[in-house]
Amino acid sequence: MSDTPLRAGRWIAAVLAMAGLAFVFHNLVMDNMPKGEVRKVQDYEPWSKEMLKVVETLPVQDGGRIKPFSTYAGFTMLGLHGARSMQIEDSDGNEHKIKPTAWLLDVLFRPQLAIHQPTFRIDNSAALEAIGVPIRGKRDRYSYADISPGRQKLGELAQTYQAIDSKKRDPLQTQVVDLASNFRSYESLLGWFSFARSGVILRGSGENGGPDKRADVSALMATSPQIRKQIDETHGHGRSIEPHLQDLLQQVLDAANLAKFGLFILPPVNPSEKTWKSAGNAIMDVMSGADKEPQTAIDDITSLETTARAGAVDEKEFREQFIIMRDRLAKRAAERGEHRGIALEAEYYRKNWFLYALVFFLIGTLTAFGMWAFGNNRIGGVLSWITLATTVAGLAYCIIAITKRCIIMQRPPVGNLYDTIIFIGSSVVLLALIVEWLTRRRFALGLAPILGTALIVLARRYELGDANDHMDPLVAVLDSNFWLTTHVITITLGYSAGFLSAFLSVGFVLLCGLGLDHCDKDLRRALTRAVYGMLCLTLFLSLVGTVLGGIWANYSWGRFWGWDPKENGALLIVLWTLAILHARLGGHIREWGLHLASIFTAIVVTFSWWHVNFLGVGLHNYGFTAGKNTIWAFYACMAVLLLFGAIAMAVEKERRITPKMPE
Amino acid sequence: METTSEPATPASEATSGKPPRSLAGKIFDLLSGFGLATILLLILGLLTWFATLEQVEYGLYPTLNKYFHWQSVVLLPEIKGKMVPLPLPGGYWVGVLLLINLTLGGVIRIRKGWKHAGNLISHLGIIFMLVAGGVAHHFSERGNMAVGEGESSNTAEDYFEYVVEVAEIKEGAADSIHVIRGKYLTDLSPGNTRLFRLPELPFDLEIGGYLENALPVAITERAPEAGQLKADGYYLMERPDEINAEANTAASYARIVQRDGTKSEPFILAGASFHPFTVKHDDRVFTVDMRKRLWPMPFTVKLDEFTAEFHPGTMKPAKFISKITRIENDSEAKVTIQMNEPMRYEGLTFFQASYGPPGAGPGQRMYSVFEIVKNPADHWPEYSLYVVTFGMLVTFLIKLGTYLAANSRKKRHV
Repeated sequence: MSDTPLRAGRWIAAVLAMAGLAFVFHNLVMDNMPKGEVRKVQDYEPWSKEMLKVVETLPVQDGGRIKPFSTYAGFTMLGLHGARSMQIEDSDGNEHKIKPTAWLLDVLFRPQLAIHQPTFRIDNSAALEAIGVPIRGKRDRYSYADISPGRQKLGELAQTYQAIDSKKRDPLQTQVVDLASNFRSYESLLGWFSFARSGVILRGSGENGGPDKRADVSALMATSPQIRKQIDETHGHGRSIEPHLQDLLQQVLDAANLAKFGLFILPPVNPSEKTWKSAGNAIMDVMSGADKEPQTAIDDITSLETTARAGAVDEKEFREQFIIMRDRLAKRAAERGEHRGIALEAEYYRKNWFLYALVFFLIGTLTAFGMWAFGNNRIGGVLSWITLATTVAGLAYCIIAITKRCIIMQRPPVGNLYDTIIFIGSSVVLLALIVEWLTRRRFALGLAPILGTALIVLARRYELGDANDHMDPLVAVLDSNFWLTTHVITITLGYSAGFLSAFLSVGFVLLCGLGLDHCDKDLRRALTRAVYGMLCLTLFLSLVGTVLGGIWANYSWGRFWGWDPKENGALLIVLWTLAILHARLGGHIREWGLHLASIFTAIVVTFSWWHVNFLGVGLHNYGFTAGKNTIWAFYACMAVLLLFGAIAMAVEKERRITPKMPE
Repeated sequence: METTSEPATPASEATSGKPPRSLAGKIFDLLSGFGLATILLLILGLLTWFATLEQVEYGLYPTLNKYFHWQSVVLLPEIKGKMVPLPLPGGYWVGVLLLINLTLGGVIRIRKGWKHAGNLISHLGIIFMLVAGGVAHHFSERGNMAVGEGESSNTAEDYFEYVVEVAEIKEGAADSIHVIRGKYLTDLSPGNTRLFRLPELPFDLEIGGYLENALPVAITERAPEAGQLKADGYYLMERPDEINAEANTAASYARIVQRDGTKSEPFILAGASFHPFTVKHDDRVFTVDMRKRLWPMPFTVKLDEFTAEFHPGTMKPAKFISKITRIENDSEAKVTIQMNEPMRYEGLTFFQASYGPPGAGPGQRMYSVFEIVKNPADHWPEYSLYVVTFGMLVTFLIKLGTYLAANSRKKRHV
């Protein structure tokens, strides 16, 4: 084979790969871009960076742990909006990108603006049609003001559909139920500070026909012993409560109910109480007399009132008051030992480590294609160094991010599915770099950023679809740092090794099948050795990890093996890799057979890692359905590659035999 | 990496000029060969995969019985209730063959020498692991014990095994209890009966028509559809196995057989019945009952306090803690049992399994449920893991070392 067709083949392959990459990139960008036109929000003014930095470290209790306001805002926004940013236009036509902290600040303190922001992501407009709201595209984002005309109908329909078992609901019913839930959550945030903004009206207090006076809820809280005493005396005399007092109490109750859910920012004074309070809880506890030392709660509510009112004056005043409120609550949280990691976590999300890792991997991917296309010349050499540098930089970003997550979570890096994705993404890149160091063929080097890109994209998509904070604490049965370190990490590294062996083999099949390797036996042998080594590593890690899991199960639940789908999946990897290695030792498969079997490993690993979660049974069931179609698409791709490999192997065999055939 | 990874050539033996192998030698070659190992591993993989999918539809226990019980020799898998026309051998026998293959090929036939020492060690470790699994499968016992706060118990209840208990009632309490174990009942399918001699009692018992999951139904409520035996206006209506096999309620028919050979009218013994069947003989009173086997413990467990903790503001469990007093021969020991921290004592292990009542409010008296396991091979898998890991590490490090030593970093890049 001459060099010319080889070079042409390299470029064709590079262009095709670039097209694939462009498709992934386009998909990623489109998924994060707001749908439809940019919405206009009259009188919108963006928050200053200083303000946002002050707000992001306010501690909030959510999902069973204390986290910064910015984290809470991020996942709340992700759940409602389906993205961590939103594009709007102000009265002057200036576009603004609103990020989570600013978005939640608007919802809490500038509801008059927030209700016009396109907060609700609607994936099926039929849900809006069903509640009589005018629609735009099939998938679009709508504001609270857009949807609120259909509020009552939405509630009625959701109530009807909730009676249906969630597994039997059709997509429209599910969307309606979800929308109603999101709508309620949003309303609970929208009205949270209304007690502070408006206080309570003292009916009949207006002088000379003027408007009635208003009183602070905190002031009423301070008089709660007298109010309760008056109520008791009234009841003692068999009389009903006076109308003005009844009205006052009703207003306080309404205000407390509006501030009861969504935001739990008040640490209890009593150290034995673990659950933080919302403003509504604090108000009701004082008013009902349940809070035996009410002064702290009254001061808290006063501080919230002052802050909320300052928000209506100007940002500088607001920022100063917010700092006072934040420091007051943060001090109490610190005294309870619950303020650890708040600043670190706020910084973790602000720095967006994985996004930068993705950028590095993307650049590495581009240069890797260039490196392969140019081959073994000077430009190829330069590109290989750039690929190495960007890949190492991407990996460093991943490792820093994972380390920070460990410090924040106070547990080993892998405890849920999201953790596995970023861990596999990082470890597969690291393994690929080690393989490159051992083989020096620039093959694993190019593969590293590609796999890194794919897995970081997967992590982002999963986070988007799941919209849950994956740093929340684990359930009791998983709460063992020893076993999370040994069993879970070993198994997850086994997945990484399995994927790497499969993709190295994909490379082999494409190189040899398309004739890009120029029948270079050295290259083939190097790839085969690398795949063989990776399969051995997969077996070792999967076997040790699986047995460690069994020992954990035996230690914790009294059974070594429970035939849980996740356990079975790990066993499948062990059995499959054992079968490959024994078949090779027995001479039943050779070079091509090893690579084809190795490609199938990707299917086995995917089944074990991801697919078993859809089965809905077992201790490891995460109970989600996101990404099911992606899995089938992945299986299909692997099947096509296997078919291509089988044909290529047959063609090559035929070529070898043909010269020996008699004329 | 390369030295031992190069495949052996099957044809090489045929052309090596060696004398033809005897039949026994051929059988040995077959049973110890890589080919059989590969096929068995693939079949075991297929069985595991099908069983994983099928347990979603039919539950774990019936699926395991279908795929891995020794009585299951050949089976047809199903996916989403549809039969897959692929007959597969039962997992138990595949495992037995694999153990033979592993012993013959991985221990006896394997090439000896320091380069292969790791493989030999790994294979021995795997054999030890499989033996541990076999011992646990055949000899382990498991049950559960529910104890309320302030209460004590010294018996566990088996999860699955139904037994027949015959007891004489003296002074209002059961005395001299005779137990007929489940293994003597489960083969008594409808039409089959077995006579159980009870020499210490004035009568014997004939039991037949055992059903894994059945309910006694009044004929007046629903007429029998398959000509079932009727007893005192009731018959046994068979029900499909529950997905959760612990929820099955076994039942059978029985007759009292007097010493002169006369038999009483048939009566029903059912796990779902609230009361036992009563037999009067002269002035003595006996009860016959079908229930899950009770398992006496060598000590008493008193639940002092149970605490369920959730992560604040959520319903996500954080800790389940049972503080107990273990009472044995007038000596007492305080022990805490919680998730990931069981109590191991006298060959028994107590795990925190469950608690109740569901949704209990503050101050309400709680109960705790312990899973109790007696497994003679309790720590064997752990020991075998050390052996396997060591063996595999030796193998792979030798391969890596050989590879690095021989590796020539040269030639072209991709």
